Amino acid sequence: MLSRVANNLFWMDRYMERSYGLLNLIKTNYNSTLDSGDYSSWNKIMQTYLGIEYEKEFTSHQDSISIILYILFDDSNPNSVHNMIIKARENARSVQEHISRELWLSVNKFYLHLSQDNISVKYKKNDPITIVNELLQFNHIYYSVADITQERGNAYCFMNLGKYLERVVQSVDFLSIRISNLNQNEENLYESYFFKNLLISIGGYQLYLKTFKSIFNIENIIEMIVVNESFPRSIIYSVNKLQVHIKRLNEFNKINNRDLIFTVGKLKNSLKYTTIGSIKSKGIDEFLKEIKIALNQISVNINRTYFYQTY
Amino acid sequence: MENLLKKYKQYPNTWDEMFDSKGSIRNVYRDFGSYLKNTDFDSLTQMIDFTSQFFKNQGITFTVYNDNKGVERIFPFDIIPRIIEHKEWRSIERGITQRIKALNLFLKDIYHEQFIIKDDIISGQLIVNNKYFIREMMNLSVPKDIYTHISGVDLVRGKKGEFFVLEDNLRTPSGVSYMLENREITRRLYPNLMPKHKVLPVDNYPQVLYRQLKTLVSKQNPVIVLLTPGLYNSAYYEHATLARLMGVELVEGSDLVLYDHEVFMKTASGLKKIDVIYRRIDDDFLDPLCFNTRSVLGLAGIMESFRQGKVCIVNSPGTGIADDKAIYSYVPKMIKYYLNENPILQNIETYQLGNKDQRKYVQDNIENMVIKKTDGSGGYDMLMGNKASAIEKDKYLKKVKKNPNNYIAQPILNLSTAPCIINGKLAPRCLDLRPFAIYGANKIEVCPGGLTRVAMEEGSLIVNSSQGGGSKDTWIIKK
Repeated sequence: MLSRVANNLFWMDRYMERSYGLLNLIKTNYNSTLDSGDYSSWNKIMQTYLGIEYEKEFTSHQDSISIILYILFDDSNPNSVHNMIIKARENARSVQEHISRELWLSVNKFYLHLSQDNISVKYKKNDPITIVNELLQFNHIYYSVADITQERGNAYCFMNLGKYLERVVQSVDFLSIRISNLNQNEENLYESYFFKNLLISIGGYQLYLKTFKSIFNIENIIEMIVVNESFPRSIIYSVNKLQVHIKRLNEFNKINNRDLIFTVGKLKNSLKYTTIGSIKSKGIDEFLKEIKIALNQISVNINRTYFYQTY
Repeated sequence: MENLLKKYKQYPNTWDEMFDSKGSIRNVYRDFGSYLKNTDFDSLTQMIDFTSQFFKNQGITFTVYNDNKGVERIFPFDIIPRIIEHKEWRSIERGITQRIKALNLFLKDIYHEQFIIKDDIISGQLIVNNKYFIREMMNLSVPKDIYTHISGVDLVRGKKGEFFVLEDNLRTPSGVSYMLENREITRRLYPNLMPKHKVLPVDNYPQVLYRQLKTLVSKQNPVIVLLTPGLYNSAYYEHATLARLMGVELVEGSDLVLYDHEVFMKTASGLKKIDVIYRRIDDDFLDPLCFNTRSVLGLAGIMESFRQGKVCIVNSPGTGIADDKAIYSYVPKMIKYYLNENPILQNIETYQLGNKDQRKYVQDNIENMVIKKTDGSGGYDMLMGNKASAIEKDKYLKKVKKNPNNYIAQPILNLSTAPCIINGKLAPRCLDLRPFAIYGANKIEVCPGGLTRVAMEEGSLIVNSSQGGGSKDTWIIKK
């Protein structure tokens, strides 16, 4: 497989995963503003996804629907959902002969849906949840189509590298922006909806209830997001998946990627022996910093091993 | 539908593919005609909606230059097929094979001994002054002596129903993916009619192409790639489709690297040697060391690899000299000269504006002439004598005078028409036919049918997709 193609497959899935994360956040944050009436909560989403420079422009929006439309459709913003899907599709278009026909169709349909001429006008009158659900459905279709139609070769592995790297970055960001900065004295912390929305936004509400019943505390949340192996958005889950696909690529291509195997194996094992106790004694910020450095090394090594070939 | 068929109004003095001059349906269209009669208009409208949705969802688009918004467009498609009888097709097929064979011998000749010039069939001036004559190709032997592996010969039908060659496309003719997609959709539209007619299949074109490209090198399993200028090229969709259907890598210039005059591609598992490059970029952009120095689309040094026989480039560089509009008028002579045969397909009469007498004749009869630049394509920069105003004609003729050798003129033909569904009515539109031929080491294969291009504007003769032309599926039927 061409390095350029591998790189484009990787980014196709990164953008799809990123749009998925953002759409979920929009949905839950809208829900929580209905409960709390606190519009400042949108700022955190902006920080995570859109970058500080877009925050100012954004304060001019007063109601949730116009904020949501801004995040979805503003073309001047490279991280609007529309732009992400354009990029995912560009990547898909350039690797059409490596992905299944069905997968290409699903990305293209998503793109065509978002590119309709008057879609933001149409959406203005709609319920935001319905809008976002409609879009999320395209992501769900994408994942399932990839699952049942894509051959398990190089292409599938590179797509998964992109997907899980993006997902683990999102989970780390979630912890560092939404949890570690949490002001313990904040009033609404004691409102049950706060935790509910927090957990829903990362897709872990149901699992949390099953595991910890209705007792909400921050340590449990951190534990679930870092080391719960059966939670598909936990850090350890994504790192395990990264390792699986890197090993598979190693079998397919028989090239020297010792550094990559080493860095991902090291991170996996250090997570394996991590407990909420060890995180607390180290401090959540320090712990997250170490993970970020390890992810950075993995990403550099993926680049070096697969995407930039020289002789 | 019966009413619509009755209301069909043919162009005067024009051959219609479906109806004869008295307005009755030709034999070849008989079954299709009765199908139309028995179909209500609503279901046809449904079929049209279905096709445009289909093309859009599949991303079957081409890119239009100089158009800021909506850069990707759907190629307009008309659901009524163009039907040709197998007997007639056989003679087209033989004609194209003959033509390609002669043009290929011509290319070999002018890049080596140049007998055709020495024997005074073509003037040397016409060759060496032509910008598509590439000196780098002189005395360079190409694998199996084949230059024009893939060609698309544009045919039109005159008012008596006879086929003429409009031009030979020997560089990187496009449109083959639309031929394949048109068939894909037509199969869905006429599930009962197609098997009944025994329409000759076109679907195996990619396999034939792959098989023939393989014959160019002696290796058992050569690595074949398709070289594209990239995502923003107008024909990118076609490049991707062909690569996918042939099962070969689609590469860009930046994926290639040269080492010891061998061409490699950069893959996730290291460098991989390439044996055959089916390139879809023009000669000019192929190698910045030989041609356009500013090109980043090709690969520096690839011509030297080609010269050393380490990689095979398809089509060979330098084929542009053979499909040039000024050379076109000599093709019948070439067929006689190289093959000692009479041409099966006729040329359209062509006047060289470099010749004084011919120029005078053209000026006197400009109402009935179309003047073209010899190196133009895509329907740009030409003059239709019957449509242009006096001022336009004056302006154009002044331009011609500056460099008359660069222009040719042809009488305006009444291109044949076929019924199309236009705004809820059945109306005639002009069309041409581009069959695709593949020349491998053992033989020339012509894909049965080809791309029928349609001028969607009423009365228009310009079928190019860049000028708003559309297409139809082409059925070659064996009855």
